[in-house]
Amino acid sequence: MKLDPLSIPYRTGKSVLRLAWVLVFLFLGSPLDGLTGAGLLVVAWFVVALAYQLIYYQRFEYELTDDSLDIVSGVVSRRNREIPVRRVQNVDISRNVAQRLLGLAQINLETAGGSSTEASLNCVSEDEARRLQSAIGQLKREEGQTATDDEPDAEPAVEERRLFDITPKELALLGVTGIDLRLLSVVTVVLPVVAPSLRERFADPLVGLAVTAPLAAVVIVAVAAVVSGVLAVTNYYGFQLSRRSEELQYERGLLQRFSGTIPLEKVQTLGISESFIARRLGYASLAVETAGYGPDDAGSQSAVPLADRDRVLSLAASVEAFDDPDFRRPPRRARQRYVVRYGAVAAVAVGAVFAADRLTTLPVAWYWAGVLLPVAPVAAHLKWVNLGYDVQPEYVVLREGFWTRTTTVVPYYRVQTVLNSRTVFQRRRRLATLVVDTAGSSGLTGGQPRALDIDADRAAELREAVADRLQESLDRRQEKRRRERLRSIEPPTTGTA
Amino acid sequence: MDANTERGDGEPFDEPLTPAVRPVGAEGDADGAAAGEAIQVEELTGSRRTLDPTIQRVWALQAAVPSLVLGGIAGAAFAFLPVGDAWVGTVVATVVFALAAVLAVLRYRSWAYEVRGDSLYLERGVITDVTTVVPYVRIQHVDASRGPIERAFGLATTVVYTAGSRGADVSIPGLSPERAEDLQARLKQLTIAAEGEDAV
Repeated sequence: MKLDPLSIPYRTGKSVLRLAWVLVFLFLGSPLDGLTGAGLLVVAWFVVALAYQLIYYQRFEYELTDDSLDIVSGVVSRRNREIPVRRVQNVDISRNVAQRLLGLAQINLETAGGSSTEASLNCVSEDEARRLQSAIGQLKREEGQTATDDEPDAEPAVEERRLFDITPKELALLGVTGIDLRLLSVVTVVLPVVAPSLRERFADPLVGLAVTAPLAAVVIVAVAAVVSGVLAVTNYYGFQLSRRSEELQYERGLLQRFSGTIPLEKVQTLGISESFIARRLGYASLAVETAGYGPDDAGSQSAVPLADRDRVLSLAASVEAFDDPDFRRPPRRARQRYVVRYGAVAAVAVGAVFAADRLTTLPVAWYWAGVLLPVAPVAAHLKWVNLGYDVQPEYVVLREGFWTRTTTVVPYYRVQTVLNSRTVFQRRRRLATLVVDTAGSSGLTGGQPRALDIDADRAAELREAVADRLQESLDRRQEKRRRERLRSIEPPTTGTA
Repeated sequence: MDANTERGDGEPFDEPLTPAVRPVGAEGDADGAAAGEAIQVEELTGSRRTLDPTIQRVWALQAAVPSLVLGGIAGAAFAFLPVGDAWVGTVVATVVFALAAVLAVLRYRSWAYEVRGDSLYLERGVITDVTTVVPYVRIQHVDASRGPIERAFGLATTVVYTAGSRGADVSIPGLSPERAEDLQARLKQLTIAAEGEDAV
């Protein structure tokens, strides 16, 4: 099959706009005579891009067979790619404003291999995207069951159960709690473009800097906060999560609509994170991790951006049947370790401020830094209190973090490697850190699931226990699969083609 | 340096191995079940082992270049400063190199690995002591690699890859080429014997 013909103008327009955007930055502030040249360049580029996209469209073909998605593509160098449906981790559909106007959709397929998106159909029609998404889900289920029913078309539409709809209140809260300071980097790119005009207002550059720097800092933070709040709201506007037999499906976005599937069979870990503010208000968010995404694009994995804590917990429990965690804290000597560590940091800070007071002519009220000293034990206690681990029959649940407390649920059969490590300082207090590594991309929950600073002997014990339970649960799963296969063979069936 | 200096030579790594990859159709079994039974796991496992002592020299030598560079920088800096002179560079280089040599020895002593029944066990680290368990079911592929310095000293490294997110690949340095190859073959067989389901 071919892409949607409308994808030609869409892709051409996109590439022309990208060039125009670069030119705007290049010619901003320069005299007007460069403008006609730039205009010519854009027109020339438009012709080239259109020709290229025409050929791209001509030479792009895909087909969904019974067990794989085959894509033949490439203008100059040809690529013939075959993705076994069984290996597909996520199927994502995204539609930005332009695509929505044209009735187009981009569909991305993620598998566990490679770091980037494995297959991208840019763009097909909306209906085709939906058809592909559900057809792939359907095929995967059939393969998983080793063909109990051989007529995919005869089967009625899969039952869909709505699990979660975001309320306006939650969305507003998300805008507040979702303030993302990473956007600062974007603002700092924009700033140099705006800054020169500001600086010209002041004759003396030093005075100008002294006035603009704090102002700029305040403005940057404020703008970043507003932008990220707005982004959080537009990203998650109309968020809904539903379950279709063995898949979770979500939809979100105000301007750019995203829709993705998370096959429950491929779930690696669950992450429940509660930011400092959300925790106070009794809210939490849930991330369902698969191995499909690269470490950087964690955005679309969030299963529930923000919801009532109990709701999140029950949703999580419906995905992975873990018990209500009963956390065990690390020994008290771990807390002592943090007191010492934070105390040392505070002492160094006080010392630095004191040195600044003595060595420079600046009047520094250094004793104010002394406030840090009593804060250190409090911080240590908060860090310690939020740590925890719970070893359950099927899962190990780990918790960490004060500002954002993350609870990670790791099924034993998803464990890749187990390790415990002890730094010099940990060895002194007979402590160790247990790391349970999975194939999840752990972008959203940040870092590997670990039990920080638990008793060294206990860590070694747990390391072996987790490895053993991995074997046990794999055996169990294999046994179950074998039985299922036998059962499916017994009545005479035709089997998948 | 030859393989005789390695500790614990002889059993059980000297036993001949059956090839892990057999020609298609030879056994007439595509499911791998029969192949799994054919592999005797007990014969493939081994006791706790340490590295070839030569690895200490390799590690020390690897520190030589950085310590020379550091010494050079320090020497150049002190040549222009009012205090000290260019000879400080020599002192810096020597001290750094000596530290690295001590670290190399400690690192060698901290290293141990064991081919267990269902997982590969590794223990290493001087400042941070790390113990890793890699279940065979999770092994994706096994490499044997030899860098230039390693080659000069007749050593090799075995690298084991899993699908894990970080710390996904573990490497065992300081093996004689034969042992590295042997370990690679063993792990391959054990992985086949473990034959789990899809890794992810």
